[in-house]
Amino acid sequence: MTKRRPNFVIAMTVLIIWSLLPILWFVRMAFMNHAEIANFPPHIFPSSFNLSSFVNIFGYDYKLADGSISAASGQAGQIELGLQNSIIVSAAVTLITIIIVVPLAYVFARLDFRFKNVLLNAVLLAVAIPPVSTLIPFYTLYVQLGLVGTLPGLIIIDLTTTVPFVTWMLIGYFRNLPPIERLARIDGFSRLHTLLFLILPLARSGVAVSAIIAFLFAWNEFTFALVLVNGTPATTLPAAISGFLGQDPNPAQLAACILITIIPPALVAFFLQRHLAEMNIADPVR
Amino acid sequence: MATIAPQKAKARRRELTDGQFALMIGLPVILLLIVIVAYPLAYSAWMAFHRILFFGGYRTKFVGFKNFATVLNDPEFWWCTWVTIRFTVESVILTMLLGLAIGLLLNRPTRFGGVWRTLVFLPWCVSLYGAGLMFAYLARGQTGLPTAILAHLGMQNVPDFMTTRTIVEVLAIGSSWTMAPLVGFFVLANLKTIPKRLYDLAAIDQLTPLETFWNVTLPPLRFTLFVFTSIATVLSMKLFDLIFVLSAGGPGDASSTLTYQLYKVSFINLNLGYGAAMSFFLLLFIIGLTMSLYLIWGRREKQI
Repeated sequence: MTKRRPNFVIAMTVLIIWSLLPILWFVRMAFMNHAEIANFPPHIFPSSFNLSSFVNIFGYDYKLADGSISAASGQAGQIELGLQNSIIVSAAVTLITIIIVVPLAYVFARLDFRFKNVLLNAVLLAVAIPPVSTLIPFYTLYVQLGLVGTLPGLIIIDLTTTVPFVTWMLIGYFRNLPPIERLARIDGFSRLHTLLFLILPLARSGVAVSAIIAFLFAWNEFTFALVLVNGTPATTLPAAISGFLGQDPNPAQLAACILITIIPPALVAFFLQRHLAEMNIADPVR
Repeated sequence: MATIAPQKAKARRRELTDGQFALMIGLPVILLLIVIVAYPLAYSAWMAFHRILFFGGYRTKFVGFKNFATVLNDPEFWWCTWVTIRFTVESVILTMLLGLAIGLLLNRPTRFGGVWRTLVFLPWCVSLYGAGLMFAYLARGQTGLPTAILAHLGMQNVPDFMTTRTIVEVLAIGSSWTMAPLVGFFVLANLKTIPKRLYDLAAIDQLTPLETFWNVTLPPLRFTLFVFTSIATVLSMKLFDLIFVLSAGGPGDASSTLTYQLYKVSFINLNLGYGAAMSFFLLLFIIGLTMSLYLIWGRREKQI
């Protein structure tokens, strides 16, 4: 098993290239200048590596090698605001999702009670509803409640997706945890105590993966953000970036922006990825 | 007195049954969820039974099942259904195959395993919005990688994949690119639970690698594969961001899936009643497809 064979190395290389190619294509664009991107036929590699786009999108001018100045993006304010809001929204959604979902999935996975299947189906139904069809009702409701253009409004919408979705994924995982409830009962622990101090430490990986999924979803949510918070002080990063397309068609800065949005989730993934490999949802083989 | 009081309190505290504890934890969340989800559904249902007009003053009129009938008689709706099915099937198959490949490859011990895993995970970190832009630039003849490679080799061809014939495939590749890591990591976690001695036994029995894969590796994965086939199906059918950014339903209506058509009908044509009626057909398709997946496949996996 452990012996490295050429087939494996080739397959792994193909996989890495497949995973990175679209991202690298944007890295290439982000380093190009305006004329180079418009050039036809397109070059595979940029002729010069200039960081102007990355500096421009944060609102600073950049002096190019030939002395000319690449002007700061007019969208810089929106992008910084979006970055800040995205961090707040994603952190809040992640935290609230974990607090709600862990007990919920535990209860579904380990306890038997009446109406369990009905309730479970209600949760799963929430996953099936396409966001496009709830957009107008939510918008109308939010206008009445005064939640349009606010961060709590967006957080609530994100939760309606993350909670059912993550619950669905966690149930199988919880089912595989060692059955310690009876032992805990004999030792006199209450159910809540069992959940908080015995199950939860065992289920660290599940909690970590829930965090990744919820964070990624909230960080990348676009449809609702576009309708509910775009153009308001509560705009998030994806909504703010979409402004580039219509208002300032500058592919290099657009690419730079997209690349920046990948960094925070990539960091989260890097630190939590070993937990992802622990998320077994099927019965272990005996 | 001070020593007796806590004991008394303890004796009086009744143990909750499983059901009571479950309801205590689950019910508030689920009720809230139902309210949050039921409200938009009820509102959509109301819209679906009404004709809603904006021009010449906002007014609504009850029209019964007329909107539903219009949807069923609309050739555009059936075309979009066909596009949706084509996209979903391609996207789900690609996602599952890629996910399986990711799981199997990452399961081999290598140096810098964490780095490889993070790199393979990266596509999932890209928003569907970003992925849409990336694949649009990659696939379009004017800016794409194939053109660049051919030009590098001195050829003049401009292979363009944003055409009516191939756009659905571009979308399917884009969506499976973002979804596959999710599947891959859950497959990997499942693979790790397969004891090594089973592979030793397979080696003693002199099974070929393919036989080993089929008889040792695959059976324990079936449940995970079923769950993620369902998840990929649901996500593909309700996918909107990627299509909105990558192709906007085009060229023409070649890639207009039901979700995109819904957006067009409700937000561009402002035909809200008709859009709401259509959204119920989409929901019906999603539920119908997952249910049939369960009946055909999932029911046989014992764990559900």
